[in-house]
Amino acid sequence: MTKHLLKLVWNRKRINFLITVEIFFSFIVLFGVVLAAVYYVDNYNQPLGFAYENVWRVAVEMNDRGEDSQSSQIAQTDGTTPKEPTEKAEPVTATTFKQLIASAKEFDEVEAVATATVTPYGDGTDTSAIGDDSHPIRYGVNVVSDDYLQTLGLTLTRGRWFGKEDDGANYQPVVINERLSRDVFGDADPLGKELRRPNLPPKQEEEKRTPMRIVGVISEFRKDGEYTAPENFLFARQLLNNQMSREPRCLMLKVRSGTTAEFEEKVIKRFQSVAKDWSFEIEPVTKMRETANTFRLAPLIAGTLVAGFLMLMVAMGLTGVLWQNVTQRTREIGLRRAKGATARRIHKQILAELVIIATFGLIFGVAAVVQFPLLDVIGDISSRVFSLSILISLAVIYALTAVCGLYPSWMATKVQPAEALHYE
Amino acid sequence: MIQLEGIEKVYRTERIETVALTNINLTVGEGEFISIMGPSGSGKSTLLNVIGLLDVPTGGKVALNSKPVTSYSDRNLARVRNEEIGFVFQTFHLIHDLSVVDNVEIPLLYRKGISSSERRKLALRALDRVGLHARVHHFPGQLSGGQQQRVAIARAIVGNPRILLADEPTGNLDSQMGDEIMDVLKGLNENEKTTVVMVTHDPRQAEKTERVVRLFDGRQVS
Ligand SMILES: Nc1ncnc2c1ncn2[C@@H]1O[C@H](COP(=O)(O)OP(=O)(O)O)[C@@H](O)[C@H]1O
Ligand SMILES: [Mg+2]
Repeated sequence: MTKHLLKLVWNRKRINFLITVEIFFSFIVLFGVVLAAVYYVDNYNQPLGFAYENVWRVAVEMNDRGEDSQSSQIAQTDGTTPKEPTEKAEPVTATTFKQLIASAKEFDEVEAVATATVTPYGDGTDTSAIGDDSHPIRYGVNVVSDDYLQTLGLTLTRGRWFGKEDDGANYQPVVINERLSRDVFGDADPLGKELRRPNLPPKQEEEKRTPMRIVGVISEFRKDGEYTAPENFLFARQLLNNQMSREPRCLMLKVRSGTTAEFEEKVIKRFQSVAKDWSFEIEPVTKMRETANTFRLAPLIAGTLVAGFLMLMVAMGLTGVLWQNVTQRTREIGLRRAKGATARRIHKQILAELVIIATFGLIFGVAAVVQFPLLDVIGDISSRVFSLSILISLAVIYALTAVCGLYPSWMATKVQPAEALHYE
Repeated sequence: MIQLEGIEKVYRTERIETVALTNINLTVGEGEFISIMGPSGSGKSTLLNVIGLLDVPTGGKVALNSKPVTSYSDRNLARVRNEEIGFVFQTFHLIHDLSVVDNVEIPLLYRKGISSSERRKLALRALDRVGLHARVHHFPGQLSGGQQQRVAIARAIVGNPRILLADEPTGNLDSQMGDEIMDVLKGLNENEKTTVVMVTHDPRQAEKTERVVRLFDGRQVS
């Protein structure tokens, strides 16, 4: 019977071509949306690596640049190994940040406080790379002070976080995530190892001399949140003394749960009294998360609406074509009934033909989408996400065609042989 | 072989009631070749459809192979149509998107336990029985009317039914082709003892049968 139907469908290829093309394009569009959705869901289900609840970001704007000459001098000497200590003074910025941390700790509501250069869900990013130029291993960077581990609730899996014991060391202590460790060292223990920097431009030659030594490993830190793919990450230690090489961009406050927005003003007022010319802005990380995630989900929602509308149009068109197909074939259906086909058999035949036609379209559809990874247009999507998306899209299209075929195939069972064969 | 008792058929549409058959009593013996004649609209096709179980009578009893057709369930009807009856139509009703041999195979598709190679063998043999040896892989549109009707007869007899029903099988053919088709039907009747009931307009063809049943306005007049 299958062979018979294959012949029938093939010999009617001109009529069936339209349906095949419709199925092909619906599959492509649907696949795009499903791939995005599966990618997001897959990302969402992986650990985030930090706790955003009750964490506030205080963005710091350092308007006072009176000490510019001093800070530029510091910038030039940054990275000098602590072995040859210089007698230069501590920059005002470092002192002020230390005062801000101290003043924040005075509040009962504040459980932990740390400086940072980037914020989870924030706009700013900082990336670097190691390895050779042809195969660089990229990672995100956050330069944070010692209490950042508690403030963001990071999970150490190996080694330790950096702290006072690293003061005056001849290396720069860093903590990396498991992913970066795996990428660089494979299964080997990364603790105590050095991360080699890429070839730096001559200007930064100096910095090369202070090697980055891995003192600990954290499970994960997904700076851009749960919808983005997990990435490599590295935390470097923020020094707030005369060795400071980079200025913090913000303070992260872990506040007691139930702390209300009114507390924000109290913090700002206090900070303002410590650093008169600086300005501060507080935003709970939960709020930043909402904004960032809405922004990421918007294209998916729009895509889903467009695809949904398209599917509806295709479904209606398909039902129409199939309905017409059945009405044009009443004679054939009547003949088959006269030759011994039951109504059930007719029903199955119409649906089976539809499945065959759909399969043709879907074979081309799958053949088209498997080109995506080859053409490198989908970035870092895993083959698991990719193949799962193909399976889901196939299932949806088959279900859609089956639903579209229900009414026309039911109608086919209502054909009365005597009437269908009556006249021409 | 075929027994009809008090067959009535009334077509009811929204307002009009058409009486197509009134009190038809007919017995056709095994191996008989009879023809049904009558003016257009006299109920010939309706009668043949009732015999062939394509239509359900509004009254009366039908028995085929001395088994009364009591249950008109879809499954039973389909089985009897498939195994006991071969139907030939005036306009052939071949499926144009299938080759000649694929058309002939159709009844066997609705029978259990026949392999595709077996189907092909039986179809070719049926085509041989109606005298069509070549062109079996052509499409119906590439054949003459007479050849198409041979294909339709081959399709009707491929499953070896005991009864062959033909509704004006020569009606769309010129007289020479019509004679050829009559020869095929006669051959099947004589050589294979197939019971044949044929509707015809043509007295010349009716003469070649053993018995003529005449209808007028849904009534049996002889
Ligand atoms: N499906 C139908 N619905 C309503 N009336 C029908 C139908 N089929 C046949 N008839 C009517 O029944 C009568 C007999 O038709 P038919 O058996 O086709 O005649 P014949 O084959 O002798 O020309 C005609 O009056 C015809 O109009
Ligand atoms: Mg007729």
